[in-house]
Amino acid sequence: MRDIDIDIKGAISPFSAVAKLFEHPNTICYPAEKKSIPKGYRGFHTNLLETCIGCANCQDICMNDAIDMITITEEKNPKNSSGCIPRIDYGRCCWCSLCTDVCPPSSLKLEEDCIFATDDSNNFLYMPKDR
Amino acid sequence: MQKNRELIKIFHGPQHPGITGNMSIELDLLGETIKGAKTHVGYLHRGFEKLVERRTIIQAFTIVCRICVPEPDPNEENFARAIENLAGIEISEKAKYIRTMVLEMARLSSLMLWMGGQSGSIGLGTIGQWSIYDRDLILDLFEELTGGRVYHMYIYPGGVRRELPDGFLGRLSQLLDHLEKRLPLYDNVFFENSTFKKRAIGVGVVNRDEALRNGYVGQVLRGCGIKRDVRRDNPYLVYEKLDFEIPTFDGCDVYARAMVRRQEIRESIKILRQVIEQMPTEGAIMQKIPKHRKFKIPKDDTFVAVESARGEYGFYMAGDGTEQIRRMQVKGPSLIHGFTLLENLLVDEELSNVALIMNSLGICPPEIER
Repeated sequence: MRDIDIDIKGAISPFSAVAKLFEHPNTICYPAEKKSIPKGYRGFHTNLLETCIGCANCQDICMNDAIDMITITEEKNPKNSSGCIPRIDYGRCCWCSLCTDVCPPSSLKLEEDCIFATDDSNNFLYMPKDR
Repeated sequence: MQKNRELIKIFHGPQHPGITGNMSIELDLLGETIKGAKTHVGYLHRGFEKLVERRTIIQAFTIVCRICVPEPDPNEENFARAIENLAGIEISEKAKYIRTMVLEMARLSSLMLWMGGQSGSIGLGTIGQWSIYDRDLILDLFEELTGGRVYHMYIYPGGVRRELPDGFLGRLSQLLDHLEKRLPLYDNVFFENSTFKKRAIGVGVVNRDEALRNGYVGQVLRGCGIKRDVRRDNPYLVYEKLDFEIPTFDGCDVYARAMVRRQEIRESIKILRQVIEQMPTEGAIMQKIPKHRKFKIPKDDTFVAVESARGEYGFYMAGDGTEQIRRMQVKGPSLIHGFTLLENLLVDEELSNVALIMNSLGICPPEIER
């Protein structure tokens, strides 16, 4: 009983939380409302084919072996001597962005887009968009 | 013999909200009272130290941040500084300030996460909702600065990876204003709450001499009134230029450790304000370092340490003249707190106090089984 008398402030002060009931909620109503993603966010890869030289530096530095070099037949950079471009396995990628750091022509980049849903696990082998 | 027959053995965790990660505690219970406790780890299947040895220096950099999820940045700083020590790289003043800022933001975010866990462990769930929201605001800034919310992979051997975005320091300052406004609310609802005081005072009492003898660190030591902090005892980055206090309390119990952390939030905000004020506008953020497969460290070893939000956190690193690290060893607070300390503190405590005590010690299981 004596303890309660001493700590009367401690018993009453938590009720200040009630004031929060009348404040606007901090959560957002997804998907109607979406959180803005800042510029420079490490999302999906993009690869500008007209500048990609197929050097495989990205494959070499990837510590998760998430990058394969795939032969393409479509139009590409004439300087792409290997004829290959990177494909990313998003089952292995950790979005460390080392691949984009070592890309000599800076064709491989990470864009802000980061939402992906699929019912086929093979789709995780992701071919970066050409942009 | 009669008593032995009444003992019940239960596993507290790994799937238990009161456990701070993937570990479990094997408890011998006599009614509600714990008569024996044994810590079990090994649920994470990682082994970061060995993973690092199999990769080049640049590749290994992306692994170390995963050793402790709530605060990856002290790992990055230790790794980068150890490599810099071995390779003889001196980073710029600006990079030092940015790193200090990142480490203090990480401390704040980690302390906010702790507040959620500690309050949740005694059923005060509302505080967890608030503190996780505040942590999210810090993570928003991390997202803007580094491109990632949790694993930043930003502090890099030779400096930091990206320049500060335009207006970033202003937004950080606004966030600190917001956090300062929230602190009285946390005081009212959590730290001054009689429910928390009644649950925490006199619980999980650490012996002061034992704390020194066994090498306990962080809030466990400062909660015993011992002023130990790597930022002051062995300053790194720009901490010797900054004015801050090392808070201590004498209770040696869960409440003392909580009050140390409460004060540390305020000190972190104070440090960040100074960093914003003193941040150099000019200067390179990154020194020139060798390319991926040409980056080699000489045959030498080093030990570096930072003060993480849970205590002293160090890396031992040895090179052998190749592009790979010969040996990297992590020395964090979790091993000694999670085994030696926790197992002893739980004996003769109530079952309901397990989560309360565990949260107050700053144990991060991935760091035990690194």
